[in-house]
Amino acid sequence: MLKRLGFLGCVLTTLAAGISVAHAHGEKALEPFIRMRTIQWYDVSWSNPTVEVNDAVTVTGRFHVAEDWPIGVPKPEAAYLNISVPGPVMIRTERYLNGQPWTNSVALRPGADYDFKVVLKARVPGRYHIHPFFNLKDAGPVMGPGRWIEIGGDAAAFSNPVKTLGGEVIDMESYGLATGVMWHGLWLLVGLAWLLWWISRPLFFPRYKMLEAGREAELVTPLDRRIAKVILVAVPVVVLGANAMAQNAYPNTIPLQAALDHIDPLEPVVNTGAVQVKILRAEYRVPGRSMAMTAQIFNGTGHPIRIGEFATAGLRFINAVAVVPSQDETDHLTAAAGLHLDNDAPIQPGERRTVMISATDAIWETEKLDGLIRDADSRLGGLLFFYDDAGQRYITSSSVAVIPRFD
Amino acid sequence: MAVTTLEKLDGTTNAGNLPWYLKDLYKYLGGFAVITVIYVGLRLYQGAYAVATGLDSTLPEYDAYWMRLFYGELITLMSFTAGLWSYLWFTRDRNPAALTPKAELRRHFALTMWISIYTFAVYWAGSYFAEQDNSWHQVVIRDTPFTANHIVVFYFSFPFYIMMGGSAWLYARTRLPTFAQGISLPLTLAVFGPFMILVSVGFNEWGHTFWFREEFFAAPIHWGFVIGGWFALAVGGILLQEVARMTELLDKLEDAS
Amino acid sequence: MTTNPAELAAQPYSGEKARLSRHFDYLILVLAFFLYIGSFHLNVALTVGDWDFWLDWKDRQWWPLITPLMMITFPAAVQSLLWERFRLPMGATLCMCCLLIGSWITRVFAYHYWNYFPINMVLPATMLPSALVLDVILMLTNSMTFTAIFGSAAFALLFYPSNWPMFGMFHVPVEYGGAQLTIADLFGFQYIRAGMPEYLRIIERGTLRTYGQYATPLASFFSALLCTLMYTLWWHLGKWFATVRYLKKI
Repeated sequence: MLKRLGFLGCVLTTLAAGISVAHAHGEKALEPFIRMRTIQWYDVSWSNPTVEVNDAVTVTGRFHVAEDWPIGVPKPEAAYLNISVPGPVMIRTERYLNGQPWTNSVALRPGADYDFKVVLKARVPGRYHIHPFFNLKDAGPVMGPGRWIEIGGDAAAFSNPVKTLGGEVIDMESYGLATGVMWHGLWLLVGLAWLLWWISRPLFFPRYKMLEAGREAELVTPLDRRIAKVILVAVPVVVLGANAMAQNAYPNTIPLQAALDHIDPLEPVVNTGAVQVKILRAEYRVPGRSMAMTAQIFNGTGHPIRIGEFATAGLRFINAVAVVPSQDETDHLTAAAGLHLDNDAPIQPGERRTVMISATDAIWETEKLDGLIRDADSRLGGLLFFYDDAGQRYITSSSVAVIPRFD
Repeated sequence: MAVTTLEKLDGTTNAGNLPWYLKDLYKYLGGFAVITVIYVGLRLYQGAYAVATGLDSTLPEYDAYWMRLFYGELITLMSFTAGLWSYLWFTRDRNPAALTPKAELRRHFALTMWISIYTFAVYWAGSYFAEQDNSWHQVVIRDTPFTANHIVVFYFSFPFYIMMGGSAWLYARTRLPTFAQGISLPLTLAVFGPFMILVSVGFNEWGHTFWFREEFFAAPIHWGFVIGGWFALAVGGILLQEVARMTELLDKLEDAS
Repeated sequence: MTTNPAELAAQPYSGEKARLSRHFDYLILVLAFFLYIGSFHLNVALTVGDWDFWLDWKDRQWWPLITPLMMITFPAAVQSLLWERFRLPMGATLCMCCLLIGSWITRVFAYHYWNYFPINMVLPATMLPSALVLDVILMLTNSMTFTAIFGSAAFALLFYPSNWPMFGMFHVPVEYGGAQLTIADLFGFQYIRAGMPEYLRIIERGTLRTYGQYATPLASFFSALLCTLMYTLWWHLGKWFATVRYLKKI
């Protein structure tokens, strides 16, 4: 039987080997207004796409917490930067927010800016598509951009040593396992022995009849009672003795740590005021899969600026006319020439201009962001990236109600 | 009723060297084997395809590997349930009161085997695949009520044990005099209560839609499942009903070596 | 075992009737084994599951309060059946063995082999010592009331010391990211879980402003009180479910 099951497993695994592993992680089910107007990711990048077991992979990036936080979503009073991987095939060894290490959850401030860094350590060989994402309390996971990571090597070679405050170095992979198995095994043996003591004698019919006949006292013998008394004394003695030994062995223990981490936002990066944007109107043209935004832009910088990119919910619409830094491996979410303006001329310092911006690509539909027009909250949110002639970048976060156009 | 010996009443055909009251033993063991193969097969299928194709319900491969499995399960279970329950009904004993004590005892053994197979199905649904759901939610981001594990636990395991529980109920009602004369309350509770676990899937999915997408197992939206599970305790009442009747029947038989 | 005098006194059958009776026992034992794994495990998983699944939920306040409270349920109900109707003092131990076997199978095959969680991260707690004491108190006192008061209290009070030898070592502190964490917290941080962000944990809520750090004994004694009530409730629930009524219609 086991051999047959093993064979079936091999067949299924072989079949599965021909499948390209999914590169999406359920993010499309979350309402567009949450994906667009909560955590606004950008500049997400990875250190290296190919590693061996025990090697580190670093994910860095930035995000802006939208000012126009949806009314239907609780404010981010507890949030947790997570990584979407198929189980702990990688472990998270370090995590920083604005340069500060953090292990628990954190409160985020709408309108504020943050950068993050997560260091992962490869554990199980395979090819995985991983994303950073935020668990937002009572709202759900908001995904950042993902990329493929290939892990080679031998899973058995993985180790995870950690040094305790007492100076002992432990391997998290096996720490405490033998102790747990030993105690569970011991108590299960005692428990099963007690069950066996009773079920080894005739059970239901005879005992039922004895009770019906009023002879139940005969069903428990003096030996049974002696054994029960031994258990009544011995079990607590063993429990309390083992407990005392454990306390003696580990005198310096602490409770689980439950504090909310406190991390201040960065100095403003988005909406600094240097460039001011007010989106006056947005129309989503269903047949053309195009978001047309009428934006009033004021250039308060000392340089001419151009619009280089519109980013929302992990999608990037690039203005091919402007110079835009490339970001690899997120290409299927990037419309390389998806951003068009009615006037491509640079906006001069001090100039206030109304611009028609069109973000056009099928990814509105494939990523299910076009569902915005059928939502109860149909306000769009996103980041606009401006570049001056020296390569300096200015970012604004804006939001606006969207009108659908079906013609 | 005439008092006879077990030896004299041994009119039924023995399967192999089995005692007459265990005539259905091989079918019973076969039932365990089939259920084990089905569930181990489903678990292997999950191991092979869930990470590769089951992480996003909007992808075409999700339809190919999971939604087809879901529809296949529905069709199979509906067909088998209709077939099994129809068979039990149309082959019912029209006059169970005329049963000999020995035949009735044998049927009590068969009923116990039906209920045992039912509880084996409850094991896979309530223990293994239910808790496995927590494990899978640590991998997948919830984006559908039809996740790679829900398709096994909610839409296969739950209806499967309902099919088995319903069969046990029908078997008792159509073949055993005591259960035919009155409707056994504990048997009804033990079958209909866990049936409500399936209905609680609606509460669960509604809760996850409106409240949270993470997996907090002890959350109130899961307590509908819990309450349904309590009704399993009614199996104790079935045991008492059976023991009372079977000891009566045994007393009507003469001892045999 | 054959010399057990109770067996001789308590066996009204002989020959084939005795064999039939014994075969029925075996059938019921198999039935009960899977029934109580399936139903009791479901009850526990969906009421105290998170505390039992993860190391970083096993705190000193809520874990020792809620675990005995929800784990005394089925044992009380099954005791009422097996003791009252068969004089078998094994209801609690049976439930707990079933629960642990079911939990271990799942932790190994669903968490470890499927999704790569280390088994030490998902070690279940044990209530077998508590269950054994509950069974023998019922047997020795033959009283639901005494068992509810003394057995349930022992059931709750023994929980934490039974498990500290397994889980105490996970509360050793480490310095991580400029702060102190327990090893258990570190498991939660390192081994990535998509559906269990840290903020979901129900641990260490409240300030303990009255009694300093004595959280565990207080939680255990409160649990003992609640278990007394819970035991009584579930004893009667077990009796009610084990009805032998037949109805005219449903």
